[in-house]
Amino acid sequence: MTTLPVDKTTVEHTSGRSPLVLNHTSFGTVTSEICRVNEAKKPPFAWYATMAISSCLALMLGLLIGYLIITGVGVWGNNNPVMWGFPIVNFVFWVGIGHAGTLISAILFLFRQKWRTSINRFAEAMTIFAVICAGTFPGIHIGRVWLAYWLFPIPNQMSMWPQFRSPLLWDVFAVGTYFTVSLVFWYIGMVPDLATLRDRATNKIKAVSYGIFALGWRGSMRHWHRYERAYLLLAALATPLVLSVHSVVSFDFAVAQLPGWHTTIFPPYFVAGAIFSGFAMVLTLAIPARELWGLKNFITLRHMENMAKIILLTGTMVGYAYSMEFFMAWYSGEVYEQFAFINRAFGQYAWAYWIMVSCNVVTPQIFWFKWCRRNIWVLFSASLLVNIGMWFERFVIAVTSLANDFLPSSWGWFEPTWVDILTFLGSFGLFMTLFLLFIRYLPILAIAEIKGVMPEANPHAGHDHDHDHEEVKS
Amino acid sequence: MNSIDTKTIRMGGLAPTGVVLGGLVGLGGIAASIALGADESGWTNFWKSYIFAFMVITGISLGGLFFVMLQHITRAGWSVVVRRLSEGFASNLRWLWIAFVPVIILVWSGEGAVLYPWADPVVVQNDPVLLKKAGYLDPTFWSIRAICFLFIWAALAQFFVGQSIRQDSDGDVSRTRRMQAAAPVGILLYGISQTFAGIDWVMTLEPTWFSTMFGVYWFAVSLTGFFSCLILLACFLQSAGRLKGAISKDHYQDMGKLLFAFGVVFWAYIGYSQFMLIWYANIPIETGWFLPRQMGPWKWVSLLLILGHFALPFVLLVSRWPKRWKNALAAIALWMVLMMIVDVYWLVMPTMSAKAVHDATNLMELVDAVDAGTLSVGWNLTVTNFTALVGMLGLLVAGTCAGLWRCSLVPAADPRLDESLAFENL
Amino acid sequence: MTTSPVQADARPDAMVVDDMNPDTGTSQLWGLAAEFSTPAAIMEAAKKVHAAGYRWWDCHTPFPVHGLDFAMGIKYTILPIIVFFGGLTGTCLALLLQVFTNSLELNIWAIVPVVGYQFEVSGKPLISLPAFIPVIFEVTVLFSALTTVGGMLFLNKLPCLYHPVLKSPKLKRATDDRFYLVIESRDPKFVRPRTEELLESLKPDALIELEA
Repeated sequence: MTTLPVDKTTVEHTSGRSPLVLNHTSFGTVTSEICRVNEAKKPPFAWYATMAISSCLALMLGLLIGYLIITGVGVWGNNNPVMWGFPIVNFVFWVGIGHAGTLISAILFLFRQKWRTSINRFAEAMTIFAVICAGTFPGIHIGRVWLAYWLFPIPNQMSMWPQFRSPLLWDVFAVGTYFTVSLVFWYIGMVPDLATLRDRATNKIKAVSYGIFALGWRGSMRHWHRYERAYLLLAALATPLVLSVHSVVSFDFAVAQLPGWHTTIFPPYFVAGAIFSGFAMVLTLAIPARELWGLKNFITLRHMENMAKIILLTGTMVGYAYSMEFFMAWYSGEVYEQFAFINRAFGQYAWAYWIMVSCNVVTPQIFWFKWCRRNIWVLFSASLLVNIGMWFERFVIAVTSLANDFLPSSWGWFEPTWVDILTFLGSFGLFMTLFLLFIRYLPILAIAEIKGVMPEANPHAGHDHDHDHEEVKS
Repeated sequence: MNSIDTKTIRMGGLAPTGVVLGGLVGLGGIAASIALGADESGWTNFWKSYIFAFMVITGISLGGLFFVMLQHITRAGWSVVVRRLSEGFASNLRWLWIAFVPVIILVWSGEGAVLYPWADPVVVQNDPVLLKKAGYLDPTFWSIRAICFLFIWAALAQFFVGQSIRQDSDGDVSRTRRMQAAAPVGILLYGISQTFAGIDWVMTLEPTWFSTMFGVYWFAVSLTGFFSCLILLACFLQSAGRLKGAISKDHYQDMGKLLFAFGVVFWAYIGYSQFMLIWYANIPIETGWFLPRQMGPWKWVSLLLILGHFALPFVLLVSRWPKRWKNALAAIALWMVLMMIVDVYWLVMPTMSAKAVHDATNLMELVDAVDAGTLSVGWNLTVTNFTALVGMLGLLVAGTCAGLWRCSLVPAADPRLDESLAFENL
Repeated sequence: MTTSPVQADARPDAMVVDDMNPDTGTSQLWGLAAEFSTPAAIMEAAKKVHAAGYRWWDCHTPFPVHGLDFAMGIKYTILPIIVFFGGLTGTCLALLLQVFTNSLELNIWAIVPVVGYQFEVSGKPLISLPAFIPVIFEVTVLFSALTTVGGMLFLNKLPCLYHPVLKSPKLKRATDDRFYLVIESRDPKFVRPRTEELLESLKPDALIELEA
C-alpha cells in the first residue's frame, strides 16, 4: 500500500469529484481488504495492549459502581449547592460524543455527502457505546438504583406516575429513543455486510453466527428497494431525533432560572457542541484505526479534511454561542446574569473556563489552514484538545452556575473525589472495550455502501457519462 | 441527463416588464404608505409598517446570499441550476441599503422614538434597565452598526453574484475556486451581521426584552422566505417557458426538502425552544414579550403560526410526491411566503405598555383590559401595512428581475453544471 | 416467496418443467441464475427479462444498483405510508399517556381506569402542552423508526434463513462482487429451454441451476 498517491489524489478538483476510494477498481478487492480486519487470525499487538488496559478500566468502573451502590452517593464530590457534579458533566459529555455517529449516518446521508460511507459504521458504533456510557451516569446518580424502573410509566399499585413536566423525564425518553433508534439504524445498515462476512466465513461457527444476524440477507433487488427506502426514512427520522436529544439535554439546564443555565440559545448551542465533540472523537479513533488496520484507501486524507472542516464549523458555532451568551448577559441588564458570566471568566473556576475557550474556540481555528487539515499529527492533537475542551464546557456550565448563584451565603465549592475521577476514567474503559470488540468482530466499514459510491457502481458507466469519469481520474 | 434548451435560458422580455411593473408597484406602494401613514398617533404606524415590509424582503434576499455561499462551501453539485436564481435574490442586497437609509436618518435625527422606544433619551433616563444598555442602544452606534451590516451584505452579494455572472462569459474555472475560498469567510461575516441586524432592527423594538436565540430565529424566518420564493420563481420562470430542461422534478424535490427542513421543522424547533424555555422559567422580564402575543387578536395569529407555519405544511410536505409535483409545491411555497410575512408581522407589531404590565396585580386584569379595549396590544391592521408590504415586494420583484436581466438564468460555465443537470433524487 | 414444486406443477398453464437435477437426481429445479460482473450488464439484462414478461424473478447484487429496481418494474414500496401511521400512533399514544397520567380531569375519558398522579410543579397547569411536546416527539420518532424497520423486514419476508439462493455455493459472490439474475421455475413463462435461451442471449459470465 502506498501513501504518496493518497495525498496527491484526495485534493478536491473544481471540475470533477475526487475518488472516495483509492487504489481499488474492483468490488472484490474492496470486500477482501475490509473483511481482512475481521478475518485476520490475530489483531495487531496494539489491539491486545489497548484491550488489556481498557478492560481493566471497565472492570474498575464496575467495582466503583458497586462501591457507590453499597456506600451511597456521598462517595462523590456532589454537595450542596453543587448537587450535580461529575455525573451530569460526564453524562452530557458522553451523550455529546454520541451525536456524531447519527449525524454522519443520517444528516450527511440526507445531504448526499457520499464521503460519509467510509466513516459512518464506526461512528455509529461509537454513538451506541458512548450512549451506553452516558446512560450509566444518571442511572447510578439516582441513588436507589434498584428503583430505576420508576423512571418509566409502568402501572403500579401506588398509582404513581412519572412527572411528565420534568425535563429529566424528557431525558429518559430522549436518550432511550436515541439509543434504540441508533441501534436499529446501525444494525440495519450492517445487515448486508454481515451477509458478506457470512458468505466468506471459513468455519461453521462464524457462518452460523454471522448468518443469524444477517437475517438471511441475499442481496435481492426487491429487498434492496425497500431497504433503501427504509434507510432513507430512518435517516429522516434520526435527523430531528439527533437534534432533539441534545436539545432535551440542554433543557435540563435551561428551564431552570439559574443564571448561566437559563438562556434560550442552549438547544442549538448544545447540538452544535455535541456534533463538535462527536467529530473530534471520530477523528481520535479513526486516525489510529486507519493506521493499524491499513484502511487508508477508504479513510483517506480527504475524509480527514472534511471532518476538520466540520470541526471548524461547529467550533465556530460554539464560539458564536459563547459570545451570544456573554453579550446577552450584558445586554439583559440583569445583575445576576452579568455576574454569572464574569464569574465564569474570572471567578474561582476561571481556569476551567479558559481551558474551554482555548480548546473549543481557538484550537479549531487552525483548520482554516489546509496544511493543518491534512496533517495527521495536527488533526490528532487538535481532536484530543477538543475532547478535553468539551468536557470542560460541561463542567463550566454545570458547576460554576451552581457554585455561585444568587445569594453569596449559599455559594460553595465543588471538588471531585477519587471516586468521581476514577469512575469517569472507568467509563473510557467501558467505551474502548466495546469499541475494540466491535472492530474485531463486526464489519467496521460499510462495505456495501462503499461499493455503491465507487464510480464502477454506476450502471450507466461505459455509456453516456464516460467523459465524467475521465475527469475524475485525471 | 437533462439538457437545457439554450434558447430559454434568458429572461428576455420578462425582465424589463418585471422591473417596470415591480418598480411602479414598489414606488406606488411606498408613496401610498407615506400618504396614508400618519394617523392620530403620529408616524408610528407608517414606520412600523415600513420596517415590517423591509424585514420581509431583507429576509428573503439574505436567505439567497446564505444559500449561494453554502453551495460554494459544500461544493454542491445538484444546486447549480438554481444557483443563479438564488443569486438573483441575493443581488437585491446591493441596493437594499437605500431602503434602509430613511430609517437610519430617522434614528440619527433623534426622531427614532416613533419606532424604537430606546431612541428617546427621556425614556432611557427613566428606565434603569434601559440606562444600563444605553451604550449599545445609542442612535449613533446603532446607525454605524446598521451601515456595517448593509455594507457587508452589499459587498458579499456584489462579489458572489459578480464573479458568477462574469464566469458565464469568460468560463474561468478559477472563479469557482475563488468563490469557494471566500465562502467560509463570507458565511462567518454573514452569521454575525444577520444575527445583530435581527437583534438591532427587530428585537430592540421591545428594548427590555432579550433572547440569545433571536438571531437563530431570524435566520429561520429568512430561510423560510427565501426557499419559498426560490420555488415560486423557478415555477414561474418555467411556466413562462424559461429554463426548459434545466430544473427537473428532482431539483424541485430538493428545494421542497429544504423548505420542509428549514422553513417548517427548523423554524418550529427554534420557535418552540425559545417559547418553551421562557414559558417554563417564567421570569417576568422575558415573558413580557410573549404576553401581548398571547392576548387579543394576537393569540389567533400565534395559533395561525403554529398550525399554518408548522402543522399544515408539515403534513403537506412530508411525502415525496407533493415535492415532485410542481404546481402543488408552488401552492405550498406561496402559502409559506404568506406565513413568513405573518411571522415577521408577529415579530414586529405587538406591543404592550410596560407600565400597564407593572401596575397590573394579576394576569386576568390584563386580559380583561385587552378584551375591553382599554389596553393596546399593538393590534392595528391598517391599509398602510398592506401598501408598505406590497410596495416592498414590488421592489423585490423589480430588483430580482434587474439582477437577472442581463445574464443567463443558469451559471452556464459552472464546472458542475453537468452534474446538476444529471442529478437524480433517490 | 416460498413455494413447493407441487404448486408449480398444479398451475394449469405451467409447461412441463425439467424438475430433476441430472447431477443429484433428487432435487427439484427451483430456478436459473445468470451471473454478471458489472452493474451495467445486469441493468441491460434486467430490462430484457422485464420486457419478456417474467414475474417471478429477481436480481441479487452486492449493493443497490441505482435504477435497477425501476428497470425491473418494481413498484414504489408502501413502506412510507405504514411508517406515517406508525408515527401517528406514537403521537397519539404519547399525548394520551401524559394527559392520563399527570392529570385527573380527563380520567373519565380513559377506557382503562388510569388514576393520574396530580402533582403541581412550578405553577404549571396539569395539562401543560409545551412541556408534553418533547415526549410526544420522542415517542413519535421511536414508533416511526421501529415501524420502519419492522415494516421493511415484514415486507421483505425477513428473517429468512433458508432460501435456494443462499443454499447454492455458486451464488456466494452476490454479497461480494457479482450480480445475479434469477428466474424462478414457478414463473408461468418459465420453460426450461426458452428461458435458458433468453438468459444465454444476455451473455452472462455463467449460467447456474438452483435447487429448491
